Amino acid sequence: MTQPPATFRSGLISALPIAMGYLPIAFSFGIAATRAGLTEAEAVMLSVVIFAGAAQFLALALITSGAPLILSAFTLVAMNLRHLLYGPALLKAAGQAASTRRAWAWAFALTDEVFGASLGAIARGRRFSEPFMLGLGFGAYGSWVLGTALGALAGGGALQDWPALDAGLGFMLPALFLSLLLSILTRAQLPPIAVAAAVCVAASLWWSSTAGILLGMLAGALTGLVGRVRA
Amino acid sequence: MSLDLLLMALVVGAFTYGFRFGPTKLSLHDLPPQSLRARFLAATGPAAIATLFVASVLPVLRSGGQNALPLIAGTLAVLAVFFWRRSVVAATLSGAAAYGFAFWLTLPA
Repeated sequence: MTQPPATFRSGLISALPIAMGYLPIAFSFGIAATRAGLTEAEAVMLSVVIFAGAAQFLALALITSGAPLILSAFTLVAMNLRHLLYGPALLKAAGQAASTRRAWAWAFALTDEVFGASLGAIARGRRFSEPFMLGLGFGAYGSWVLGTALGALAGGGALQDWPALDAGLGFMLPALFLSLLLSILTRAQLPPIAVAAAVCVAASLWWSSTAGILLGMLAGALTGLVGRVRA
Repeated sequence: MSLDLLLMALVVGAFTYGFRFGPTKLSLHDLPPQSLRARFLAATGPAAIATLFVASVLPVLRSGGQNALPLIAGTLAVLAVFFWRRSVVAATLSGAAAYGFAFWLTLPA
């Protein structure tokens, strides 16, 4: 049964698992950024302005390798192309009543995890609402920026004495993605899921992880054209 | 602060924002449910989450032996708690806790 539209507060609460996943990763990013020679302010600026984890880590690699800035920017933009699919897919699942009046605000935080969490919430019967999306995005964004700042201030080796805690926190995002996958899983969605996973593995092993994500996503979505899949 | 770095961040941030916000203004209301575009979009969500899960687990799998037991423990904990509680939060936290605990068990004394 469909629930009433969700509030900003319920969006914030739903952001909890994302925040718990983001904090350690953003913390690692803050550490890596200062190790790469960036100042604390520059590390935080990257998280505030870009807010795309994988692209930010790649930015560090490109900066330290001495790649020209124009080439770095082009590579990072190409890496984020997958985000083009998220808005339409989310609004298709949300249905005709979905408002996009404040999309200019909540779409800023439409990351992989926020997209997955909002899609999972709709699959569990929660009605799409912009205040919920704002709460979800705010929780995710706040934890990402906070984690980066803490990591940049802590410097290298902050979790070296706690390897098990470090490992457990590192598994937070895979655990979140698996939980989200289970929450939207139906028999009709098995073909796109299986094809996406297989193509992602193959492309990651033979090409690169960025290609694996983009091609896996596209191949899985194209599988939807073959069968009858409902979001 | 480096002006070049700030400029690069602004360019990448602007494009990323455009990728996230721009397509939300596409009109999807008159899309027939069985049209190619509707079916493509409906399959995009599950495909994206499956891809992101695989992409996040692959580095753990490729890093070798010490991570095998924690990965199995973490995955099983997510599956068990999700099917027991039907809660994304509980399943995620349990999976991370199980992974960390199993990792601690495999640490050399």
